[in-house]
Amino acid sequence: MADVEDILKRIEAHKGVIGTVVVNGGGIPIRTTLDNSTTVQYAGLFRQLTTMARSTVRDIDPQNDLTFLRIRTKKHEIMVALENDFLLIVIQKPCE
Amino acid sequence: MPQKRPKSATSSAGKMKHKDRKPESPAPIEKPDHPEDIFPMVLTSVTQELFGCRADEDVTSESPYKLLKKDDIIQDIKTRAAVSDFSPVKQRVLDYPDDEILLVFDRDFIYGQCFYLVMTPEAKELILNPPEPEEIPAEIECEVNKTPEPQKWISLGSELEIEEESVKETREKLYFVFSKERRMFGGPVCFSDSNAADDKYGNLGCPSYQDSRFSIKQMQRDCGTQAAPTLQSSSAQTQWKRKKNMCTQYKPREFSQEEKDNILQSESLKNFCNLVTPRMLYALQQEEIMNVFLDDLKALGTCPEEGECSGKDSAELMLYQAFTDQTYSKDRTISCINWHPTIYGLIAVAFTAKKEQQSDEPTSSDVRPSHIVFFCFSNPYDPQLLLECPDDIYAFEFCPSDPNIIVGGCRNGQVVLWDISGHITHLQRAQSSGKKVSVNTDTFDLDDNKEKKTPVVRCCAVSAMDSSHKARITDVKWLPPTFEVTRLGVPVENQYNTSVQVVTCSPDCSIMFWDVRLPKPLNQSALDRKKTEDQKVQMTPYSVPDTFKHLDRTWKPLLRVSLPNINTSEEYVPLKFSFQHYTCKGNTDRNTEEADKSSEIIRDFSQLRLPSAKTLTTLEDVNTKFYIGTEDGEIVYTDWKLEKDDSGRLQSAKPLHCFSIHSWMVNTIQRSPFFKDIILTTGGWKFAIWKEGVMDGPIIVSPISEHVITVGCWSLSRPAVFFIGKDDGSIEVWNLLEKTSEPTQVHAHITNAKITCITPWTATPKQHILAVTDDLGVVRVFEIPKTLYIPSKSESLNVKKLFELEENRLKDYLQREKLSQKEQKEAEELEKKMEPNEPLKSEQEEEDTHLKEYREYMVLE
Repeated sequence: MADVEDILKRIEAHKGVIGTVVVNGGGIPIRTTLDNSTTVQYAGLFRQLTTMARSTVRDIDPQNDLTFLRIRTKKHEIMVALENDFLLIVIQKPCE
Repeated sequence: MPQKRPKSATSSAGKMKHKDRKPESPAPIEKPDHPEDIFPMVLTSVTQELFGCRADEDVTSESPYKLLKKDDIIQDIKTRAAVSDFSPVKQRVLDYPDDEILLVFDRDFIYGQCFYLVMTPEAKELILNPPEPEEIPAEIECEVNKTPEPQKWISLGSELEIEEESVKETREKLYFVFSKERRMFGGPVCFSDSNAADDKYGNLGCPSYQDSRFSIKQMQRDCGTQAAPTLQSSSAQTQWKRKKNMCTQYKPREFSQEEKDNILQSESLKNFCNLVTPRMLYALQQEEIMNVFLDDLKALGTCPEEGECSGKDSAELMLYQAFTDQTYSKDRTISCINWHPTIYGLIAVAFTAKKEQQSDEPTSSDVRPSHIVFFCFSNPYDPQLLLECPDDIYAFEFCPSDPNIIVGGCRNGQVVLWDISGHITHLQRAQSSGKKVSVNTDTFDLDDNKEKKTPVVRCCAVSAMDSSHKARITDVKWLPPTFEVTRLGVPVENQYNTSVQVVTCSPDCSIMFWDVRLPKPLNQSALDRKKTEDQKVQMTPYSVPDTFKHLDRTWKPLLRVSLPNINTSEEYVPLKFSFQHYTCKGNTDRNTEEADKSSEIIRDFSQLRLPSAKTLTTLEDVNTKFYIGTEDGEIVYTDWKLEKDDSGRLQSAKPLHCFSIHSWMVNTIQRSPFFKDIILTTGGWKFAIWKEGVMDGPIIVSPISEHVITVGCWSLSRPAVFFIGKDDGSIEVWNLLEKTSEPTQVHAHITNAKITCITPWTATPKQHILAVTDDLGVVRVFEIPKTLYIPSKSESLNVKKLFELEENRLKDYLQREKLSQKEQKEAEELEKKMEPNEPLKSEQEEEDTHLKEYREYMVLE
């Protein structure tokens, strides 16, 4: 099992990735490549959004669960992966 | 008389009670509450000890019986007489037949006292030897089986109540007999129908009525009750006596570094990462490959230029307005025009005498003062404002940070400054209302209307005659508010974010930098300064604003850059120049602070002082190199920073490049508003596009045109479009993305004279206008159609690519040229060498010659 750092570095080195944030269950960022204020903002907001999205999915089908969330904005694409109460948020600039 | 049965008790006692109860219970006669053969008594502790029946020790609830000898009791009675506890039962004890008397410890005080004495031997026997309990159920069974015999009813008083309740007749029943008369029996009868409701006799009702004589008071009423909890509701209104703002402040939760490290080491996080990474990489890859949200139809390019506009609007420039004024434009040509940066529809035009007239000027009597005239859309025939100049103005510009300040360059080489802030309201009013409003509002309206005078603004300051240019100033530009220049030409940061420096160029082979601030007075005392200021007050006329009083007539340039020729020892004769605008990055905090300060200071130029070069930070990334177009058609690329040569004197640097592309005077050098390093130059019969940094030549050169190109300008909204004005009065519109060898539109014969200036402007987002002036002194304003001002999809990207392509092409071309030249030289060399009959040439010699030639060539480059 490779180190957490190495895994995250692989993701960060991908083309177009602007930043990554790892958030724990309480919405507190654990590891980030962005500056502090942005990180805290992303962590809090996305924690809320994923909780809501997750409850939506599970309301429809309790056997189901949310694994991935992608938000496409005008400027970038924000991808959120959920597992074990952790969140991995990656912001990528789409290539055009 | 509740008689509880003690647990240990004797059923015999109970039985006795049974027997006893019967004769006792019916009559409520007072009787002692104990059977006759039991005598409750109190025994003092002395007595208890004597007889060995101490409570709870010798006798307990389990064994409450104590047999006492009769003789002992009698003895006790005799000895203690009245004090003895047994005295009340003295007689009974004496009568007792047996020798032993039973004393029972009455723990539960059933008979009222602590102990009781059993008086009869039968009772004693019964207590001590309780009969078998089995007898009782047998007796009960026997009783049940027997049918009860009826017994005589005993009246207990209930028959009285029954008597009362029963209803009895108080009188005899009344008795009526009705009979028909005898003779009517058997007679005919006649039956008829009648409605029961109609016939009042058919239905006799006896309704109840309230009889006033009769009243009964209801003594008893049935009503139901229900227990309910007591409730009370009440409300209160709070008074908001003291209004105050409430706010919450919060801080986000964060982990400390150790906690973060801990979590990073944890297993759960590792699991999470391993699980999540493939998904994330997959999504990232997807995104990288293609844009799934791309709307293909939209991307096809349904821009207005393709479908919507072709029918409705013309794709050509449409004449919007034309300005001319007989007084000012007669026999004059326009040398420079500028749109007012903030006021809509206001254009400033500089009229100059035509070249043919200039030679005649000393003799002709038609000497008129020169003016810069302001025209407004709302009133095309009357100018709104006049700026008076000492001499013809060939170039002028509005200050980028303060549109009220205008700098102009005169024919005699002087630099002139105007301040029109006093007339701004008048201009704005004129623009909005369309009527001319006189500046002087004190007089009556009638007078104002009659006068109709255009306000005239005199120049605030002119430069010192001896330090100005020796020839006419052909180009004037403000330095942008982002940087300023020191005496050595080193760019430093601009503290106040205002444009304070002006660059002028003139055919006297020099380019001068001017600063509108006074240099720091070194030795002047405060008094002296005041004196000089007072003197200046007297000198300037009354209606001129005193913004630049400190400069008037004493203005000297800050820096003088000469242009030594790259090849010869002469100098270049510049006509136009263009430098790169610098947008400062970083230091935004400081700039906002300074900006606040500068908003107060901005008008007080006299207080500003030239800062010493040491106090300001040098800006490293400002490009101090700029392009100059000369009279001979050369484009020179040089640096304005002064260098120290061998003798220690400050000298201008030698230009880096010089290209002679145009065959005649260069009349435009303009940078593209979209790309910092793309420059358009026009002159002679060609125009060229240059890229800064490409030292080999222009990346695009136009084909030779029929007429002399007099002016060119880039479009403000489309990176690929520019306009070219020609000698024959026609305008060409070029679109680099469509055709690079010929213009996309030609508007021939807009005017009969040659075009002198073209300036585009974005008046409103929907209205893009182009001002075109000609040699006859007429300003024409055209509206640019949508096709020409709305950029196509990703136009700047395409144009950038085009320029890169051209650059590469140029490089290739030059390389090939080099190669072909080399080959040519080699061929020549070969021929030369062959003449002195040396057919074999050592390769070494050949290589040497080649190397030498190559080195020489490199030196030239």
